[in-house]
Amino acid sequence: MTRPAQASLSRLEDIAGSGALLTGEAELAARAVCGMQPIAAVMASSAEQVAAILQFAAAEKLAVIPMGGRSKLGIGSSPTRYDLALDLSRMNRVLSYDPQDLTLGVEPGVRIEDLLRTLGEQKQFLPLAVPFAKRATIGGIVAANSSSPLRHAYGAVRDFCLGMEFVTGDGKQAKSGGRVVKNVTGYDLHKLLVGSLGTLGVITRVNFRTFPMPHSQGMFVASFSSAEAAFDFCRAVSHSVLTPQMVEVANPGTAALIFSGEFATRLEPRTWIVIVSAAGQPAVVQRYQRELGQLAGAAAAEDFLPLSDYEASSVMVKIQEFPRLMMERDASALIFRINAVPGLLAPLVAKLRVLAAQRELDFVALARAAGILYAAFLPPRENSAAPETLTQLIAEVYRTCGQSETQATAMLEWCPAELKNSPEIVWGPARPDFALMQRVKKSFDSQNILAPGRFAGGI
Amino acid sequence: MQTQLIRELEALLGKQAVLSSPEDLMLYEYDGSVELGSPRVIVFPSSAKDVSGIVRLANRYEVPIVGRGAGTGLSGGAIARSGGLVIAFSRMNRILEIDAANLRAVVQPGVVNLDLSRAVEHLGLFFAPDPSSQKSCTIGGNVSENSGGPHTLAYGVTTNHVTGVELVLTDGEIVRIGGRSIETSGYDLNGLLVGSEGTLALVTEITVRLMRKPEAVKTLLAVYDTLDDTTESVVSITVRAITPAACEMLDGFTLRAVEDYVHAGFPKDCAAVLLIEVEGLTEAVESQAAEITEVCREHRAREVRAARSEQERALLWRGRKEAFGAMGRISPMYYVQDGVIPRTRLPETLRRIEEISRKYDLQIGNIFHAGDGNLHPLILFDERNREQFARVVAAGGEIMRHCVEVGGALTGEHGIGMEKNELMPLIFTPDDLELMQRVRDSFNPAGRLNPGKVLPMGKACGEIRVPPTPASAAIST
Repeated sequence: MTRPAQASLSRLEDIAGSGALLTGEAELAARAVCGMQPIAAVMASSAEQVAAILQFAAAEKLAVIPMGGRSKLGIGSSPTRYDLALDLSRMNRVLSYDPQDLTLGVEPGVRIEDLLRTLGEQKQFLPLAVPFAKRATIGGIVAANSSSPLRHAYGAVRDFCLGMEFVTGDGKQAKSGGRVVKNVTGYDLHKLLVGSLGTLGVITRVNFRTFPMPHSQGMFVASFSSAEAAFDFCRAVSHSVLTPQMVEVANPGTAALIFSGEFATRLEPRTWIVIVSAAGQPAVVQRYQRELGQLAGAAAAEDFLPLSDYEASSVMVKIQEFPRLMMERDASALIFRINAVPGLLAPLVAKLRVLAAQRELDFVALARAAGILYAAFLPPRENSAAPETLTQLIAEVYRTCGQSETQATAMLEWCPAELKNSPEIVWGPARPDFALMQRVKKSFDSQNILAPGRFAGGI
Repeated sequence: MQTQLIRELEALLGKQAVLSSPEDLMLYEYDGSVELGSPRVIVFPSSAKDVSGIVRLANRYEVPIVGRGAGTGLSGGAIARSGGLVIAFSRMNRILEIDAANLRAVVQPGVVNLDLSRAVEHLGLFFAPDPSSQKSCTIGGNVSENSGGPHTLAYGVTTNHVTGVELVLTDGEIVRIGGRSIETSGYDLNGLLVGSEGTLALVTEITVRLMRKPEAVKTLLAVYDTLDDTTESVVSITVRAITPAACEMLDGFTLRAVEDYVHAGFPKDCAAVLLIEVEGLTEAVESQAAEITEVCREHRAREVRAARSEQERALLWRGRKEAFGAMGRISPMYYVQDGVIPRTRLPETLRRIEEISRKYDLQIGNIFHAGDGNLHPLILFDERNREQFARVVAAGGEIMRHCVEVGGALTGEHGIGMEKNELMPLIFTPDDLELMQRVRDSFNPAGRLNPGKVLPMGKACGEIRVPPTPASAAIST
């Protein structure tokens, strides 16, 4: 790695304007990734600037990591090189919003909180109830494929993203998809950028379809004495004619987190809890309450309660902020994001709980019933776990997920940087499809300047 | 060398799995588009291993490979444009597993779309993508083209329903991407592969999501005296955030042909109808149907009625799905377009199509997915009239340009294929296309997999390709 001279870096100021180049210690420390600090940070204000910056970086062989609200820089394996932080927080404009057509185009630096407010004025929304909602920007949410409990009804980013504009590793502006809700014109390259953690391109515009806000909503919680009963209830819901907005399963650890404070008197937080929300006309929501109550009863629920609007929004925030709350509880938390079929969530959770118990770690789990599981392992309060214990646990989690009876894929979304001594820690053992991902990476970033080392298979 | 290749293919697959006589090859020269191309040999693999063996042989003989399902595609995706070898997946037509507990099915690529829905009907489930050719088109073809259909308005297109795929790569390697879970960590390779029109890899197994049938369905027919009132209704339905499961439009010209054929009870003296379906819980369906009826009446619908029985509902849908077939009764040929526009631009776009129809002195019928702005203008012609066919192609190009100008796209569900690959520069810059080319080269380095599709070949830039002689008419869409 050659470090360019200060004179050379000043070229970035020519591109992005005076004041756009940051080299102060505090500013660089704030943009560190897995403990690695860049030599400079540059604030881009347009797609053209992003392209010029990447052309410069490619010529100088500088490794670049794009960022916005910097809330999720901890996700991904450690970069092998990191010279330049490309800060997109100034690119925060809504470029087009056609409420009548229910379509939207935004720059990557738009904060989700601001965007939801703008959409709310038109009684519309994006189903992105994602973590770090106060800081997260659209670019980061897309690049990290942030998970939202609302994916149950609306799908994930890939499903409602209509197209993107981005800059590839050679500094060329490119796009795919478009602005219409149905489109098969050319390869869907933008889908590759969803969840790519900045390794394929720097996103400069994202187009979405928006959704009308439902007339009314209701949230219900059912508590169960076992994981099996809770997941049985989820299965019964998915096999009914009901189509809820979200179905979340909280293990006792998560239930205690969600239902702390004023809730504690209403629900016994030491149980398994399923949270279901429904939307539609009041008559529809009433019917959900009736039928969910019956299904919960049939699954031997200990309790079934409708929540007030105030309670519902407080529960929603805790569900959506789950990873952040885990890390706030303990910075050394290991938080896996696991994909599994719905029917195998219960046995998977049971196995993971055993792995935690064997190492005297707390196990805190939150599952999206459609098949996404956040599994957090934390040292008991005022204690810490030995790094070798954690490394061994990580290997065990991947082995458990990879077993044919579990059929799950996992990534370690959050863990202390010092554990990340190989990409396998974060992405699990090599899979046959990693070789295809390498091909994709080479097509987008042949010189390997975009977030090198951050992705699966050492990409 | 050709004889030698055929001999090796026969040794690999058995004589019954290889066709090479001129009369057999003729049957594989066309698909549902107006394109033609002659393959040298057709092979019928039974497994991914067979496909892998075929690919290795084709590489050795350096011949192009084209995958083919039922050949119902509308953009020439399954046409052997550069000759070579066609891999027909019709014998890989088994449903391998129905995992009702997890709402998944695992199928071979040759499974017919509707056969999957029928196989899971008794479980109260269905496979959502429902192209009009669903009685014959295959799921492998749906994956290649990222197919849609009327109900994709509510359920999304094929890419929203595929969780895993087994592929044979161009070097013969068999690899799996995705899986059975709703997401898989790493790049979204499913997202890239679905809709890549057979240019990146050959699909040998697909894991799809199954959906639960709704409790209630209500199908409405709204009848109009003017096209503008019809299209304004669609805009209002979208604006008022009512989300029907399907919202289809048929214009009066098309309706008359359909009614004479299907006898579904469509009024023959109107300007257009909307066929709108709402689904869900009974309570939701009733209130949505009431809202839609109100919107249609505000826009001067002459009549809004609901299908009173399942039989009547099925008949209305038959009218929609067999509309293209019905066109065959009044015109020797038609050329179906597949543009997409922002939904709010529907009224002006229909007016523009009327102008184009007058300008080129052509009859254009409109049957399309109004709810998501996906147009299917049908330009009628007689293949014996070469001069007229040139006008057809020019009119088609003009409609496409209009779609692009109002912020739309070249194709909503039929694919680019060899029909619109030279139009790609209307949407994409050279840099965009170069990146797509690089991605293709990374999977298909020798370019032997479905050559001449999707990306422009550099000749006749910006034009719809005019085939020397149009093939027989499309069956349905």
